Amino acid sequence: MSDRRRVAPFVAIVLAVVLAGLFVVLLGADASSDETADTPLLDQPAPAAKGELGDGTSFDLSQRKGSWVVVNFFQSSCVPCKIEHPALVEFVDAESTRADGADFYTVVYDDDRESVEAFFEERGGDWPVVYDDDGSIAVAFGVAKVPETWIIDPDGVVRERIISTVTADFLRRELDRFRLAG
Amino acid sequence: MERTRRAAGRGRLIGWALLGAVVVALLTVGIVRDRGAESSQDRADDVARRIACPVCDGESVFESRNNSSEAIRAAIDERVNAGTQSDDQIISYIESRFGGQVLLVPRATGIDAVVWAVPAGALAVALAALVLTFRRWSAQPHLAPTDSDRELVASAMEDP
Repeated sequence: MSDRRRVAPFVAIVLAVVLAGLFVVLLGADASSDETADTPLLDQPAPAAKGELGDGTSFDLSQRKGSWVVVNFFQSSCVPCKIEHPALVEFVDAESTRADGADFYTVVYDDDRESVEAFFEERGGDWPVVYDDDGSIAVAFGVAKVPETWIIDPDGVVRERIISTVTADFLRRELDRFRLAG
Repeated sequence: MERTRRAAGRGRLIGWALLGAVVVALLTVGIVRDRGAESSQDRADDVARRIACPVCDGESVFESRNNSSEAIRAAIDERVNAGTQSDDQIISYIESRFGGQVLLVPRATGIDAVVWAVPAGALAVALAALVLTFRRWSAQPHLAPTDSDRELVASAMEDP
């Protein structure tokens, strides 16, 4: 038997092992296209988030423990944010009628105050707006694109991260699910 | 004849030894050379070069002018200036927020280790194959013409 014939099976086995390894890696890759997104912060304490509210007072997320908190990252020039806004208004109105209604905050990231104020004046919504001028809150949450919405439980633990736009129904359903789960 | 062959072999060995010494010396200089005192900005820039812009393709946050990259650079600057975290700790912090996909230099643990292991493995296999091939070549007998061979050639040359 020639050397080539002797070596060929070993080469084939090595190639098969490499291909099988790549196949396993591909199988393990997350190909989901759900609205919710994975984050290393899921089920972890929410990161420290301090900023300034539109009225000049300070905001500290850790002070909101005891309530469900929904944080929406936003820019006034972002088209999906404009599309999503009516749903947020509807959601906040509905939550305000509940005794255990969630606190809602918009975190403005890389935007100027005049544009944001004009946006809210035109489209409605009177919830607190946090100005994240240095982007530290966005980095702390790992937010690179807007809009993103995060749900934080009364213990200050991150329960969900939702990328792109949300609907009022979706947010309500998710919050009810978390409330029931306790 | 034997002496000449031995001298040639010794010469080759010295050549390889010299080449090996030069490679080792260069690697040693490259690894241990003193880069001098590094300013906070240099350090922050080095860290920023190791983190990928989370919203662009193929750019580090050092190069990218994207808002997200600028925010990450600000976070790096803040931590470097505080002086309480090592480069790896700062990178781990960014990774803990944005995930492992922002690491431009993959970690040597977990599935990421494959990118280090595969080239090293391929190099080892290639070197082993070279060694085996050279050994097989050198194991082939050195045939020297016998007297009868010489006579045969001489008679062939004489024949018209």
